[in-house]
Amino acid sequence: MRDLHALYDAVLNGDSKNAKAITGEAIEEGIDPMILVTQHMVPAMAEVGRRFECNEFFVPELLIAARAMKASLELIRPLIANSGIQPAGKVAIGTVQGDLHDIGKNLVAAMLEGGGYEIVDLGVNVPPEKFISAVRDNKANLVAMSALLTTTMPSMKKTIDAIKEAGVRDRVKILIGGAPISQRYADEIGADGYCDSAAKVCKMAAQVLAE
Amino acid sequence: MDNSGLSQRIRSSLQREAMPIAMYPGLSLANARVKDVITNSQIQFDIQAALHARYHTKFVLSAMDLSAEAEAFGCEVHFSENEIPSIVGRRVTGIDEAKKLSIPKPGDGRTGVYLETVSKLRKISDVIVVGGCIGPFSLAARIVGVTEALELTASEPDLMHSVIEKCSIFLGEYLRAFKTAGAHGVLMAEPAAGLLSPRGLSIFSSNYIREITRSIECETFSVILHNCAAKNVHLPAILATGLHHFHFGAPMDIIKALSEVSSDIYLFGNLDPARVFCQTTRDEMKEKTNELLASTARFKNFVISSGCDLPPNCFLENLDGFFSAVEQYNSVYSIV
Repeated sequence: MRDLHALYDAVLNGDSKNAKAITGEAIEEGIDPMILVTQHMVPAMAEVGRRFECNEFFVPELLIAARAMKASLELIRPLIANSGIQPAGKVAIGTVQGDLHDIGKNLVAAMLEGGGYEIVDLGVNVPPEKFISAVRDNKANLVAMSALLTTTMPSMKKTIDAIKEAGVRDRVKILIGGAPISQRYADEIGADGYCDSAAKVCKMAAQVLAE
Repeated sequence: MDNSGLSQRIRSSLQREAMPIAMYPGLSLANARVKDVITNSQIQFDIQAALHARYHTKFVLSAMDLSAEAEAFGCEVHFSENEIPSIVGRRVTGIDEAKKLSIPKPGDGRTGVYLETVSKLRKISDVIVVGGCIGPFSLAARIVGVTEALELTASEPDLMHSVIEKCSIFLGEYLRAFKTAGAHGVLMAEPAAGLLSPRGLSIFSSNYIREITRSIECETFSVILHNCAAKNVHLPAILATGLHHFHFGAPMDIIKALSEVSSDIYLFGNLDPARVFCQTTRDEMKEKTNELLASTARFKNFVISSGCDLPPNCFLENLDGFFSAVEQYNSVYSIV
């Protein structure tokens, strides 16, 4: 059995092949999959986030680390599902109606999945009804909206208002982000949180869900 | 010492020069929509002429549109009436497609609109005419998919290089075409490269830009390299392009950058287009402009600007506030 610290290194360095191999070996050895997640993979992603904030890691390193984590999670997820252990939360994520930019959304989705959240990726140009459906039918308890254009920002307010009208606002916390977004705007439209960096999103998600 | 016309004109000015990347806020002045701008050089000329008359701008620019080159390479474009076009899908998904990718010619598709615009803008007297194009990594990213491109720099660098090489060949010819059309310079926009590490930016962007521009820049033609995502940590890699004019966005601490570059390097920027130009009042706009003017007062090699392209919903009154602040500043202070 390889030293499990190698799993931490594989995720940190974005080595999907090794991350998956080590995870597979550990599972066969009977190691508790939650130990792999909580003691090796999640700390690795936390370190990825820290290095991103310090300008040691950049977007490519974030993406390949998240991919390595995802490769390992693919082996672990069926085991966790059978054990009844719940994910940290279920996130319906999308770029808002009118907007086709997806890089911010993709980064945040990758970081949240790495942080143990179940992701319902709604894609781009997402109308309010699809977010509502994700809350109502998929039981998402967190909605994450991205906008890259000042002209599509109003779709965020439109979506929040639609969620209220649909009577499901109390079932979900709403995070927003994107280049033109600010805390001021988040406060104005009634979002629960604003995140200015993909590296901080897991902490922000945990914070708003705990409120 | 850079003796290009652009550097000389900035250096010899006793005023703080201003060059916001402003086309779309002028839509109302020409009764036009975004879709008109990106397809019609006369509309671009009309808007720039109207903005020049309103603000007595020293710089006139063609529109920033980072889809025209990718469209010429065969990418699918989503158009809307009042939104800048965006690329959808992926033109290249693997090395075989990269090898088969044809290189377009300047003038193909809507790239001709921008060349025509520059020719028309030369009719406005005593201005600096600046064309616009995308940078090689950002163009390659649109061809392979932006998120995918960032990952591929780590996982399949050869694929990225294969596409960037073709983009560079096209862009070299496109820059020459702008020069022939009469532009004094081109604003080359390379935002996706600002998401890379400094090393990645060197390898996948700066090395190519250095080669593209080496034989094109001269006394009468300059390249202004725009990177609105770049931070100060990227600055050395960006300076390694060998260019002398750089345009930055809000993530760059422009004062720190000005303190680190030599006096023959000119920096442009960097009032946030969304948070400052679009989301403030006219008075707040003036305040933010005055703050930046004051903090950069000791630097002669600075041109105040927006951090990126101003979007269509930027109110003209905020642009009024910006230019009003610059005019008032220049009536009191001289740049020496």
